Amino acid sequence: MSKSKKCIQILLAGMLIVLTACSNSSSSKESPNSSTKEAETPAVQKEADPFGKSEEPITIKIGKEIDASDKSLPAGDSPESNQYTRYIKDKLNIDTKIIWQAAAGKDYEQKINLSIASDDLPDALVVNETQFRQMVKSGQLEDLTDVYNEYASPTIKGIIETTKGLALKSVTIDEKMYALPNVTPESDMVHYMWIRKDWLDKLGLQTPKTIDELEKVAKAFVEQDPDGNGKADTVGITGPQLGGNINADFINPNSNNYGFDPIFASFHSYPGYWLKDSNGKTTYGSIQPETKQALSTLRDFYTKGLIDREMSIRKDAQELIKNGTSGIYFGVWWSGGYGPLGDAIQNNPKANWQAYAVPLDINGEFTPHMGNPSNQYLVVRKGYEHPEAAIQMQNLLFRDESKFDVNVAISNYPLRLVFASMDVMDVTYKMMKEVLAGTKKPEDLNLPGYNLLKTDAENIKKVKLEPYDNYDIQYWNPNADIGVWKRMYSTLVGISPLQQPYKKTYSVTYSQTKTMERRWAALDKLEKETFLKIIMGAEPIDSFDQFVLDWKKQGGDQIIAEVDEVAKQ
Amino acid sequence: MICKMKTKGYAKHYYLMLLPGFIWLTLFSIVPMFGIVIAFQDFNPGLGMFHSEWIGLENFKYMFTLNDSKTIFFNTIFIAVMKIIANMIVPLTFALLLNELRVIVFKRWIQTIVYLPHFLSWVILSGILLDIFSYTGPINGILSMFGISPTLFFARADLFPFIIVGSDVWKEFGFNTIIFLAALTGINPSLYEAAAIDGASRLQRLLNITLPGIITTVILLSVLSLGNVLNAGFDQIFNLYNPLVYSSGDIIDTWVYRTGLLNLQYGLATAMGLLKSVISFTLITISYFLAAKFANYRIF
Amino acid sequence: MVIEKTFGSKAFDVFLIVLLGGTALLCVLPLWYTLVISLSENAAASSGQVGLWPVGFNFSSYQEIMGDSKFFNSFWISIQRVVLGSSLNFVIIILLGYPLSKNAKDLPFRNVFMWILVFTMLFNGGLIPWYQTVKSLGLINNIWALVLGQSVPVFSVILVINYFRNLPKEIEEAALVDGAGPWYMLVKIFIPLAVPVLATVTLFSIVYHWNEFFNGLVLMSNADHYPLQTYIQQLVVIIDAQTMTAEQIQKMSELSNQTLNAAKIFIAMIPILVIYPFLQRFFINGITLGSVKE
Repeated sequence: MSKSKKCIQILLAGMLIVLTACSNSSSSKESPNSSTKEAETPAVQKEADPFGKSEEPITIKIGKEIDASDKSLPAGDSPESNQYTRYIKDKLNIDTKIIWQAAAGKDYEQKINLSIASDDLPDALVVNETQFRQMVKSGQLEDLTDVYNEYASPTIKGIIETTKGLALKSVTIDEKMYALPNVTPESDMVHYMWIRKDWLDKLGLQTPKTIDELEKVAKAFVEQDPDGNGKADTVGITGPQLGGNINADFINPNSNNYGFDPIFASFHSYPGYWLKDSNGKTTYGSIQPETKQALSTLRDFYTKGLIDREMSIRKDAQELIKNGTSGIYFGVWWSGGYGPLGDAIQNNPKANWQAYAVPLDINGEFTPHMGNPSNQYLVVRKGYEHPEAAIQMQNLLFRDESKFDVNVAISNYPLRLVFASMDVMDVTYKMMKEVLAGTKKPEDLNLPGYNLLKTDAENIKKVKLEPYDNYDIQYWNPNADIGVWKRMYSTLVGISPLQQPYKKTYSVTYSQTKTMERRWAALDKLEKETFLKIIMGAEPIDSFDQFVLDWKKQGGDQIIAEVDEVAKQ
Repeated sequence: MICKMKTKGYAKHYYLMLLPGFIWLTLFSIVPMFGIVIAFQDFNPGLGMFHSEWIGLENFKYMFTLNDSKTIFFNTIFIAVMKIIANMIVPLTFALLLNELRVIVFKRWIQTIVYLPHFLSWVILSGILLDIFSYTGPINGILSMFGISPTLFFARADLFPFIIVGSDVWKEFGFNTIIFLAALTGINPSLYEAAAIDGASRLQRLLNITLPGIITTVILLSVLSLGNVLNAGFDQIFNLYNPLVYSSGDIIDTWVYRTGLLNLQYGLATAMGLLKSVISFTLITISYFLAAKFANYRIF
Repeated sequence: MVIEKTFGSKAFDVFLIVLLGGTALLCVLPLWYTLVISLSENAAASSGQVGLWPVGFNFSSYQEIMGDSKFFNSFWISIQRVVLGSSLNFVIIILLGYPLSKNAKDLPFRNVFMWILVFTMLFNGGLIPWYQTVKSLGLINNIWALVLGQSVPVFSVILVINYFRNLPKEIEEAALVDGAGPWYMLVKIFIPLAVPVLATVTLFSIVYHWNEFFNGLVLMSNADHYPLQTYIQQLVVIIDAQTMTAEQIQKMSELSNQTLNAAKIFIAMIPILVIYPFLQRFFINGITLGSVKE
């Protein structure tokens, strides 16, 4: 008897659950509607003013990437309500609502893709190139041409103009501008070698300049116990992590840290890039004989144990750099201080990582590939009543960047785009040298478009010790302010290699063509898999030739023809 | 006869009982199922599935030109069939051996311990496996004691399917053992007693009584597993694979996930998913009729 | 049982004990290893020095988790999901399983219903239409999306159908003579008889809802709503450097901490470790799918 009573109770409980389910669903359905009502109130007619405050409150619903580990927000603040969003509310009368958030990286991309696919977009969003093209194709985006012309601040326009039309070209389709592109400084595009100078000194070696010298140094790092702990536990060259790329490509040309781009480049091999051959015809870098040559060298390095054996399996490429077991990696300027080196010097204050524009090609020239200034796109959903709000937010946050508390991570910006003049790091480097030399003072450095310059100038002497022209780690004081050290070490050590002239190689295009929308994923997978396997010895080097045939057959030839058309325009 | 008459009026109550379940089914399975039409469209999210352009079998045609299709079908079937076979043999052997064990306390303890892994998720187990099989992990440590140089297990496309099958068997054999033990308890004990009187050895009893006693269960389970020939285990592979092992470890489900959600090729992904469903459904139907015919057993 | 005392037979017994005991050990060793890692120093763990015993024994990982509100938030969501999900499954499985265990004479169109169930188990419209449906029901970010999202557990229904069908016919007939109605029959007679199979399918529900991570990832648009397995999956997720800023990568790499992750994995196992021994006595009778009527 008691058993059956229990069953009835459970049954009833079940029914209740079903009932509450229904009521819950209806209540949560209403909430989005109520928030759109605010946005629907007609905007008061006004002059287009980049910094104009709206009289009626405007609500902008956004999707946002967040940073799970970020603990910089003061108690009570959230990604939705913090110094940035309150400032926006205060100055522009715009309320920021986050309708979804996801961890930066794959999760964020997945959420965007889900939004696109289910046609359920927030009012504004920052997306990548593939997503941008898909959204344009689906007719999901608002035409921002007029809004940009009327509302973008002169500074923002100025920065976009420093790209000489490249940034605008990447967002203009059929003469309509569908997004606000970001502008990445040129320094984010150049990859070169970072090396433990203290190890070189200890083993009595010179900085390697050519591939052969690089091999010798890496071999010495592996075999001659540079960390002096009596164990053969050191690794020559760090490689990409799980999901990382061995080389950058035309879709993601910038900041491919821990890849092997400089090694490819020293063979004049530019995998993933669209190039002009000697006859002026378009070709694809990955199918060139130079690439086979570079791959065979990398394979040789890997076989000899000069490259981290766990490359592309390891979850975090920085691990070996931080714990002091790796002596060489390739990356852009910020992969230094902003990258693993903060931790590396905490673990070993003598770890003297320095950067050099090497390896050089056969003629002794540094020949890196260059990227596209734009790889993030701020888009506005078609039909959103206040497209100007998204642009105004950028205007405001960029102009007043220096007014905020620097301890709050900038990843809490709503709709963050990287905006920097193409030459921002170059200018910063030169100005810092002048400040150190005493020829410029912080107050001289209030340049529009170079917002951080003045603060940098005020801070640099906190962390840089004399002699000012020697960047070795013993002449720094990271403990004075590790945040400042990270930025200044990246700047001085990371930008100095770029002060010498070098030969730049650009891709013919950085956008996808029509056939690519359908075929690229498969071709790209084929390429990345083949290259990885060749390097790691899972396939013979000659499988490269089969790859070239397959690649061409499976749509590659057609795509080359399309890119050639683009190039002619 | 009276009973038959009486139950006549029950049908409407039975329908009432079915109602909540079928409402749930409608909302979360049947309604989304109309998305299958995407397989025949050049799906444009802006237009939705009602207004996107119909392209007939274009997605399927393209699918068959892809090298990937062959690879993922082969991988899926290879991994799934190996899993089915291993998940039959290992637990069967284990159950038979356990049945021979005469220390009852010990028997119960072992039984309890071995199916512990069944309850752990692949999220958790993948975390553990990646550690154990890492370059500096314990497996390589043990191998090096025998003078075998360490290897990167999760970079080895040749080993990956076997790691997948092996870890799956490790996770599931304890639980599957129970099914066979249940069948073993169904054997009439008097048969064993009679055999003992006749002087049959343990091996003879195993071959002549135990095995024939559970052979129907074995056959039935094999038939039922036919429906799983295209299920190689999304959760497991999703949490363990990487591009280096795509060639041997990428399966239909992971491919569909990447193609649809990461590469934004909805039509292609849906087409592949549909093909998988059709094949699985056919196989289940076959197994339904096979079981009915040869084992006189209705699966559902 | 028959007992034999030959030497060969005894040797075989010893061999069996060693073999089976060894296999059992193999099943717990990886879990033990995780516990050991979680109690070791991070440096020792990441350089692979930890074996079967902690190196630099300490509880710091567990102390850190105690202060991690996100972890416990997710833990709580998972608990809620398990309770709601398995209760709902329990009710629905019975309500579907009982009528469908009748034959087509008692329940017209029984086979149509059955094939619909099987059909939905195998066919689906893919992730996006499913997501849109859940979305249009207003369940995004709602615990009910996790509870209801995967729809009816058809496999469990089939198990229950089989169990009901195998019960002796006489029971039902006797009850009918007494004039029992269908609801009375289900609740008072059939459910009490079906305790083993119901315990089994409930355990399936609990395990499913505790272990499932993917729906959490897709249907929850905010990490505050993630169930525990989704949270843990995030810890081992790939860092995609190219879409991140320098500061984010910096932060992310601080997250990867082998001993801490091991501790989280271990804590996530605990609820399952606690409940399964209690439910296990039902299994042997519960899984009758494979047993054929004599």
